[in-house]
Amino acid sequence: MKPYQKQNHYELLELSPDASPLEIRRAYKNAFELYKDESFASYSFFPPEERKEILSRLEEAYLILINPVSRAEYDSKMIETGILEEGTQYCHKAKDPISIYDIRETHSDLLAPRRQPEHLKQIVSQNPLIQEIMAQDTLTGADLTTIRTELGVSLEKIAEVTNVRIAVLHAIEEDALELFPPMVYLKGFLRSYARYLQVDENIIINGYIKRIEK
Amino acid sequence: MSHIWPIGGGKGGTGKSFVTGSLGILLAKHGYRTLLIDIDFGTANLHTVLGIPHPEKSISDFVNKKVGTLEEIVVTTSIPNLYFISSAMNNLDIANFAHEQKMKLLRSIAKLPYEYILLDLGAGTSFNTIDFFMISNSGILVTTSEPTSIENIYRLIRSVYFRKICQVLNVHNFRLLVEEAKRKDSRATESNPDLLLYIMKEADPERGKIIEQILRDFDFKLVLNQLRKQDDPNIGMLICKIIERHLALKMHFVGNISFDDQVHNSICKKIPFLHIYPYTQTASDIRRCYENILALKETRSFVQDILV
Repeated sequence: MKPYQKQNHYELLELSPDASPLEIRRAYKNAFELYKDESFASYSFFPPEERKEILSRLEEAYLILINPVSRAEYDSKMIETGILEEGTQYCHKAKDPISIYDIRETHSDLLAPRRQPEHLKQIVSQNPLIQEIMAQDTLTGADLTTIRTELGVSLEKIAEVTNVRIAVLHAIEEDALELFPPMVYLKGFLRSYARYLQVDENIIINGYIKRIEK
Repeated sequence: MSHIWPIGGGKGGTGKSFVTGSLGILLAKHGYRTLLIDIDFGTANLHTVLGIPHPEKSISDFVNKKVGTLEEIVVTTSIPNLYFISSAMNNLDIANFAHEQKMKLLRSIAKLPYEYILLDLGAGTSFNTIDFFMISNSGILVTTSEPTSIENIYRLIRSVYFRKICQVLNVHNFRLLVEEAKRKDSRATESNPDLLLYIMKEADPERGKIIEQILRDFDFKLVLNQLRKQDDPNIGMLICKIIERHLALKMHFVGNISFDDQVHNSICKKIPFLHIYPYTQTASDIRRCYENILALKETRSFVQDILV
């Protein structure tokens, strides 16, 4: 990695060359929080002169990139020196309106953990064994266990995220009828279980309950 | 070969022994044969955190050649799979170690037949502490969110950085390279290691590359202990970011551990915290940190390098 002192404006703000003004503003704000005088995280890491220099370089980078005219100038200089490739820079395009439900997605913060692992969905749709089980009319606890182990998720993990007691989850997977909670709760627990694994909750609930009612 | 996790952090009172004890208990509970060693020779505490007020044997016995091997001073604990080498009954002059004794101890530790060996280091950045911290590439740093503790983390990391460069280059060559780097760029001083390394790489690509490789081999972990409700939960992440960006070292943030007054109670009672308060937020935080560290566990022992 290049040392901080030799990084260009985009690298300084940890941006890709096609970053939008909004991203630039956010990146500057985050960087400022990290390097400002009162920051705990960088406290004592830099001598005062160096901190001042970093802050002024960040400010310079921000001011150049946030202004479309100076940014275009800077980009063309970078292209001339071969640091930036032609065509990779930002160009302002009118975007289609986005659905209001997407707004939260665009704010997804790297630091906040997601409750439901997105990647499971992909595995579910690609795993033939899971597809086969989901196509069955009734489901046994062993089927659920198979789905879960195929996805590589531990029972503990589900218990932790869904707040369903591990003993109950275990009873469901083992078909231990005598330990089951009342039906209305059982449905809820199956729903949480299915939701965490990103499989169709209705198939799971109906298939499982249909079988135990037999 | 065993995984060795040295646990340090520069500042005293951040919870190094507490974290070591708790991680050890979790490892043992999950069936790993685990050994905890109290490397805080002068002011040992780990035995108390583990609830063993009077360990019978101690490191002194090994250093003073009362026993021939480290194995003989290992004591069992009330927890299956958890073993312990104490420093509680050390002689009072033990903190001042001779170099030879330290090397012998390092070598013996690396050879011990356990799956996990956790070293509870003392505060400070003396060579003794640093060398034990560098015994493997997977040092775990413990800090609180207070500036006093954070600044000591940076001190410790920089000490490791320089000790490693010095070991590779030997003192004389190191000085020469620093001088040369300074001539080329006045800002490339010891306090600016990333720029220093960059210039060294230009001046001497071969050696620069070796050092870079060695530094990249380190895979530090950071635990933020005693996080109060009013603290910024992202601070650990930011500390790691500063170190990764400015020192070009790998540094993984493994999690926050919430502050809990009951930790104090458990230590006063001399019963491991995880045993009497297993359902607290703090206990589940510790378990999460444990899982995160285990997921990153790729460990490499550095003892061979130290011996060169």
